[in-house]
Amino acid sequence: MANIFPRWTNLLPLKIAICAGSVAVGVVAAFTVYATPKSTVVGYQPSQPIPFSHKIHVDQLGLDCRYCHSFVDNSDHSNLPSANTCWNCHQHVQRQSPKLDPLHRAMDKTHPLYDGKPIEWVKVHKAPDYVKFSHSAHVNRGVSCVSCHGQVDQMDVVFHAKNHSMGFCLECHRAPENEVRPLEEVFNLKYDAAQYLQDNVVLNDKGERITEPKEFGKQLKETFKLQPKESCATCHH
Amino acid sequence: MSKRILQHPEIPAGENTISWRSVGQLEGSQDFRNTLDREFPRAAAEMADEADAETSRRSFLKLMGASTALAGLSMAACRRPEKYTVPYTQAPEWIIPGKALYYASAMPRSSGATPVVVTTFEGRPTKLGPNTLHPDSDGTDAFVQASILDLYSPSRSQKILHHGAAADLAGLEAVIKEATTSGKFGIVFGADESPTRSRLAKEIAAKFPSAMFYSYESLSPAAAASRQVADFAKADRILALDCDFASLDPQGPITPFFDRRKPEGKGYKAKRDKKSMNRLYAVESLFTLTGGMADHRLRIEPSKVIRIAADIARQVMAKTGGSAPAELSSFAPVTEEKIVKWVAACADDLVASKGNALVLAGSRTSAALKNIAFAINTALTSFGATLQSIASDNAGFGDIAALKKDLDSAAIEHVILLTPANVAFDAPADLAIVESLHKAKSSIHWGLRTDASAHAATWHIPAAHYLESWSDARSANGHYTLIQPMILPLYDAAVSELELLSALLDGKITSGEESAAFAAVRKTFTGDDAAWKKALREGFVAGAAASAPATAPVVTAESLTDASEQSLDVIFSTDGSIYDGRWIENAWLQESPDPISKLTWDNAALIAPKTAKALGIYDQVIALESPRAASPVDGEAGNRRAPVISISLGGKSIEIPVLIAFGLAENTIVLPVGYGQGYDVEDELARGPMNATHVGLVGVNRGVNVNQLRTSATTYLAQGAKVTLTEKRYSVALTQEHHAMYGRALAREISTMDVEKHHKNYSFEKQYDGVAKQGNDAHAPENMSLYKQEGSATWNPGKDGKAQPLLSDDLHQWAMNIDLSSCMGCNACLVACQAENNIPVVGKEQVAMGRAMHWIRMDRYFAQDKNNTFDIDSPAMVPQPVACVQCESAPCETVCPVNATVHTEDGLNAMAYNRCIGTRYCANNCPYKARRFNYFDYNKRNPLIAHNLYKGPLGTTQVGEAPHLQRNPNVTVRMRGVMEKCTYCVQRLKDAKIRQKRGQKQDVLASGKTSPEVVVTTKTLRIPIDSVKVACQEACPADAISFGNLLDEKAATVVRGRELARSYELLHYIGTIPRTLYMARVKNPNEKMPDAEFVGTATIHMA
Repeated sequence: MANIFPRWTNLLPLKIAICAGSVAVGVVAAFTVYATPKSTVVGYQPSQPIPFSHKIHVDQLGLDCRYCHSFVDNSDHSNLPSANTCWNCHQHVQRQSPKLDPLHRAMDKTHPLYDGKPIEWVKVHKAPDYVKFSHSAHVNRGVSCVSCHGQVDQMDVVFHAKNHSMGFCLECHRAPENEVRPLEEVFNLKYDAAQYLQDNVVLNDKGERITEPKEFGKQLKETFKLQPKESCATCHH
Repeated sequence: MSKRILQHPEIPAGENTISWRSVGQLEGSQDFRNTLDREFPRAAAEMADEADAETSRRSFLKLMGASTALAGLSMAACRRPEKYTVPYTQAPEWIIPGKALYYASAMPRSSGATPVVVTTFEGRPTKLGPNTLHPDSDGTDAFVQASILDLYSPSRSQKILHHGAAADLAGLEAVIKEATTSGKFGIVFGADESPTRSRLAKEIAAKFPSAMFYSYESLSPAAAASRQVADFAKADRILALDCDFASLDPQGPITPFFDRRKPEGKGYKAKRDKKSMNRLYAVESLFTLTGGMADHRLRIEPSKVIRIAADIARQVMAKTGGSAPAELSSFAPVTEEKIVKWVAACADDLVASKGNALVLAGSRTSAALKNIAFAINTALTSFGATLQSIASDNAGFGDIAALKKDLDSAAIEHVILLTPANVAFDAPADLAIVESLHKAKSSIHWGLRTDASAHAATWHIPAAHYLESWSDARSANGHYTLIQPMILPLYDAAVSELELLSALLDGKITSGEESAAFAAVRKTFTGDDAAWKKALREGFVAGAAASAPATAPVVTAESLTDASEQSLDVIFSTDGSIYDGRWIENAWLQESPDPISKLTWDNAALIAPKTAKALGIYDQVIALESPRAASPVDGEAGNRRAPVISISLGGKSIEIPVLIAFGLAENTIVLPVGYGQGYDVEDELARGPMNATHVGLVGVNRGVNVNQLRTSATTYLAQGAKVTLTEKRYSVALTQEHHAMYGRALAREISTMDVEKHHKNYSFEKQYDGVAKQGNDAHAPENMSLYKQEGSATWNPGKDGKAQPLLSDDLHQWAMNIDLSSCMGCNACLVACQAENNIPVVGKEQVAMGRAMHWIRMDRYFAQDKNNTFDIDSPAMVPQPVACVQCESAPCETVCPVNATVHTEDGLNAMAYNRCIGTRYCANNCPYKARRFNYFDYNKRNPLIAHNLYKGPLGTTQVGEAPHLQRNPNVTVRMRGVMEKCTYCVQRLKDAKIRQKRGQKQDVLASGKTSPEVVVTTKTLRIPIDSVKVACQEACPADAISFGNLLDEKAATVVRGRELARSYELLHYIGTIPRTLYMARVKNPNEKMPDAEFVGTATIHMA
């Protein structure tokens, strides 16, 4: 019986598989690079005009988040510090460091580079235009900076630590007990619920002391009357 | 017709009221029926025909090809863009990024400044609201709301011009020096009042004794020593003689008038009492919004208005024991029996309320009519009670005729035009003011636009907008009101009026940060710094202006002839969209439909149906949408075209499109003023290019200039016009049949008088209690919903393991009431909504196709009683604003294939724009027709440039950066292909809630405990009662909209309102359970009036 398929067809299935595979890989790669939302780029770590280290300022020097991000509990936006905030200290500290040139340019009238132009920080976290996210709504209700931004106090250069996709938001909106903490601890990036429960006596409804962080979360959710919404208009309007 | 047409139930037997929106509907014309069957306006739903489909398909493919190619080009260069955050160098005081700041200011106007609160974001004003602290606060109207757009208008004048060419400040200062050296200069102010301006004028007069001062605005009376301001809170009975005091001709703060249109009083706090309502009589020839509100409206020819006024004066004087002045007898009494009865009953009612009665004559009517009104008020002892006479800051200023005389006689050689009016355009034609201006050695025009006056003058200097200037003003009752700048002038050359006046005194023009205006205002304000700061914060210093004893004018004679078809009367009416033409460059106002004619972007002659029939133009007009109409250039467009008539008057003639208008006096033509300021080559009637440089993109090719027919003697009313029909036709963008609803008892009306129906007597109380049972709701069985309004018990159970209700929020449940008893149908809410929610303008062609984007649609219905024996052609007018009513069981939500429109827990029908894919199923399924679709990227592609939208990516984008600065940062700017609609200003609600949540921290701090120990209560998290206002509610001058939280129960105005028996659900019988309720309109007729039984029966049924 004659061969129905010529010899060259022997490798055809393999070739098709390889082609289809590489096209698929290409499409996935292209989609990932071009079409995925900017909010989900975990690990994005642009270099900034001034290599500002949160580790030095927060972890070593103990600055509160709100010294620089002063309106985070007041406004929807968590503002970056205006140049005069930096200048408060840096007109005395490390004044000669060449790393601070952009600051001198903005603030130091005696400096040869001075032109009064503001510092252009590169955005790390960007919510899309169609998302309304309010910082004040979260930090005033027991959600810490850490929950979304990671351990910024340990970062020399800030990077996008968590995936800010809608799923990430919903995860917490559906189960806030996993993230909520006492209002006093919101800006304490080293907060540890178990430690807190050891140091403080917190009683549950039955008058028993709470020791489990999970139970504490549920208790706080009740006490704070947290009812995070899941409907679209919560963030999109 | 493949579409299934819902058969609405028959209009109930025995229903005497016929209601309609447009003349086509009244006549049942074929094209109206087509519109009806089609449900959506032609181009808003489908391709017009095969050819259209073909061209559209081709252009679609072309565009797709182009965009793919462009995408390919940009793909190669595609990298993740770096975005920057740029904080301030020196943080300015008070500014918190992302939070609004509110400042008190005021908008100067001829009828008294409107006190406003300006919302600013990072120093950028975005929205105006009323300053409710101010004693003269009466909401805002459409003009105030839209004025913020003028600040950012791309066609704003930006450079100093000398004979049309750019010039520098030094040149202008030299001219001012020349003027002051000669001393023979004149200054023309507007009709508004400003204490600092008056002070500077006095200083200038002292320094330059031969300087002359004038005051001119084309629709305002000449300056007088005093002006009369009505106090509507005290007025029980009001007679309006050709006076639109509720809307375009304000005579005093208007909110108190509307408070007394509600039988339950302001805020629905009192028990219903028909005696607490006021009663309005209107005698008018044209239809105004005030006439629409009237309990008794007498439609009468202009020549008879004054005779009726004289009749009333005679009777009032006889009954109050006064003697009628002899001149009154020169007016022949009106002898028609019905009218004699009307007049007698009206006069009786006024006399019975002596001391609480009020007679108002329109400010544009003849002096003779105003004098008669004054005499009646005197006889009724209204002065000091319902009417205050207030000293005017503008006393002694000359009028436009004096200006002409002084220019012609060279008494002044230099003239400075500081008036907001456009002198060269709107001064009476017989004055030929432009020729006189040319006689001056120099003329300086100051204004926001390079209009006709800017071109007629030798110099033009750009004006700083009132939101960019220091100034002060007098409100209606003369309270001292401050105007403070929100932002430095956007353009360096712009100066304010006070800066220019100061320059006359010290020779130097200052602006921006070194403004002399601040010092001038501070000098006028004599208080100390603490008082100054308080005044700046609150925006005013209370204390009405000194009352000036009004000297009674002598009643004068006036002879008017009765009009006929051969000799028609012409009324030059104030335009509801652009006033006197000063707003022609304002796209929001141009696109907001005229409250009565529902015409956008143009003006047209309005004629009553009977007169139109007599003139032989009626049949032409009702067949607006004729298949013979030429196909439009862009391949799609509404082809509604109005016939053009030629009106000749006093030797001049104009050609203008004509519309049928109901409720007008016979033999009367109404011509709205202000349009026709410039045309370019795109003009439909090929009038251009003519004065094209006088206008920008918005104002070009708009309407017809009727000012050519106005003379000094006939600024308001002219007699002896002749009309001929021409062959021409002109497209008109009428919105009256767009997004039309159908159903029984849409708008409901009741009367305080006993009504005879089905041989039964219905008292006010019975009618009131029966509102919810009007129309279909009387007999349609209650809806049974199979839909449980619950979530899933499996996936999202409550604490008890059962399904939770969908409306689960126990803190807030939002709701709104719209009280038709107060709503007069002005466009304040519509424009306020546009400003708040970043609603785009779509342009005339798109409006004509039914693609206007306004979230609030102002429906206007006419209704008449079939048996009306008094005046069958004088219909009642019922306005009804309709936005999304936030149905609890929303038909739109169930049909969305992508869940882009869903319900929130607090009762909003939300739109997730980023999720919408534009199938438009939701709009099809909305019985209220409240959804709007972005057919084009109106925000990116400029819809005002001819054909631009159809060029796709090759089209011109928006002109300039400035318009984007007005946008509300808290609202998404929607793109093409997205459905949008009202969501109860969800951004404001969210803001209020988030602000309220901060209270938890305060509670914890106050308790001295740690946060886990302090239990948060509902009180902490629920926003205070009635503390959040939505944009339409805030703007409403009539307090017709109430909004609030249902869970606040009776403490909330909205709950008190909806518990009243006169509130009803729109289209209740289809079972959507709307959150917006309407409240029936209550009319308060006088039983003795001959037309009383036909009043209060205008319940609207649409078939």
